[in-house]
Amino acid sequence: MLEFLHYPFMWRALLAGGFVAILLGWLGAFIITRRMSFIGDGVAHASLAGIAIAILLGWTPIPTAIIFAIFIGIGIYLLEKKTSISGDAAIAIIFTTFMAIGVILLHFYQGYQPELISYLFGNILTINNTDLLSIIIIGLLILSSLFIFHRQILFTTFDSVGAYLSGLNTTFYDLLLYITTSVAIVLSIKLVGIVLVSALLVTPGVTARLFARSFKQFIFFTIIFSFITVILGLIASYYLDWPSGATIIITTTVVLFLSYLVKKIISLNVHQQH
Amino acid sequence: MAENIIEIKNLSFSFGNYQALDDISFNIKKGEIVAIIGPNGSGKTTLLNIIIGNYKPQTGSVLIKKQLPKKVRQKIGYVPQKFQFDREIPITVYEFMALEKCEQDNHRPRHIKKILEQVGLKNKQKQKLGSLSGGQFQRVMIARALLHEKDILIFDEPSSGIDIVGEQTIYDLIKDINQTRKTTCLIVSHELNIVNKYADNVLCLNKKMLCYGKPETTISPQTLTELFGINAGLYHSHNHK
Repeated sequence: MLEFLHYPFMWRALLAGGFVAILLGWLGAFIITRRMSFIGDGVAHASLAGIAIAILLGWTPIPTAIIFAIFIGIGIYLLEKKTSISGDAAIAIIFTTFMAIGVILLHFYQGYQPELISYLFGNILTINNTDLLSIIIIGLLILSSLFIFHRQILFTTFDSVGAYLSGLNTTFYDLLLYITTSVAIVLSIKLVGIVLVSALLVTPGVTARLFARSFKQFIFFTIIFSFITVILGLIASYYLDWPSGATIIITTTVVLFLSYLVKKIISLNVHQQH
Repeated sequence: MAENIIEIKNLSFSFGNYQALDDISFNIKKGEIVAIIGPNGSGKTTLLNIIIGNYKPQTGSVLIKKQLPKKVRQKIGYVPQKFQFDREIPITVYEFMALEKCEQDNHRPRHIKKILEQVGLKNKQKQKLGSLSGGQFQRVMIARALLHEKDILIFDEPSSGIDIVGEQTIYDLIKDINQTRKTTCLIVSHELNIVNKYADNVLCLNKKMLCYGKPETTISPQTLTELFGINAGLYHSHNHK
């Protein structure tokens, strides 16, 4: 029954998946509140340029993409806050420009690059011990900063003028959220892929919003839904022999759909009782 | 004689080639209610942004309690015209009120409950912020400012989009806060009769400062014509200050 647990690659995938699920769940609640769901797509696609540079120079792709993602996060922040460009337009400009740079750089790579498809669509077989260790260490750093600065990030997210008037350095907390989100997205690229990662940032939060009665519950339910769907998706992909990234994303959508039905049935019952 | 809490001298501000404020000078005393009136695009919101330290004056000076606004911004409460947020986000009234850290954190739940009762929102702590009406939401914003005992409260069209009963409730609340706590209140409003009833002084703004003084002497048909470019006047009822 639990034969998948006999394989080290599944252990690595489950551990890495569980970790990024918690990270993206927590960050996703803030991103949905800011109506910046597009940032996941933007950062993931733009990080292709970082991966391309690493492949061309023979460096390790994920650490290079993480450094790249930090600059992407800062770039999106500067375009959004320091110019008259709106948040979604800023993300779209950065996303398309760096994706184009990535494609041009890869054009100069001689020969077949099998790992590229893994970066685009995710492949749990490519998650090695170094990747797992990076996800755990960097993930713990991000989780610690979210734990310490949760109230400040929420205040800046929800009411930036109020946060500024309370004495907070809103630029610092905005940048912290943008950078940690960008890094968390890159950490999950090997799991679900550049093309699909944004769904993991958004869909669990949308599901959680159906049931949460407070922001505390919203964060908690988002993390729970994110964790459950990633683990279920990974197990399903093993038994169905489907691509892991796509199976995880389909699982998040199925859970959203079922949750919506459950919510409808509950509200119909409540109406009938009244 | 009350001391000046806001001092503005020869203030000018422009966005590129667009002059938003031109050589504005006035003082507001501690405990006053001052209303700012003027047509759309007259620089009212820009002026508020400079007072809270969000924009830096390009020429002239703005002092709050004899200091730069950014230094004393924690003493300023701001109630915006429209608070933009996704109403589907499940944040409760209590959670919203508790966003700002305060000195009495140990007694916070009781303190928040008491303040909400004061603004007429008894037992609303657990209600979702997005489910409140416009008037209730403005009262939550005011309650939050009260929780942190601000010296200056700034309201940008506080009754915008609210019915006449809600409007009356909000202005009565502002007056009550002003009288019981001696909080200085600065209000941007288009409601001239409300301004006449509640404000101690009125500032007429259309990029330049056209007048400043007691509403009964300042809001005249001539001033209003000069300010708005149309013939306008006050509706006089028997209900005076």
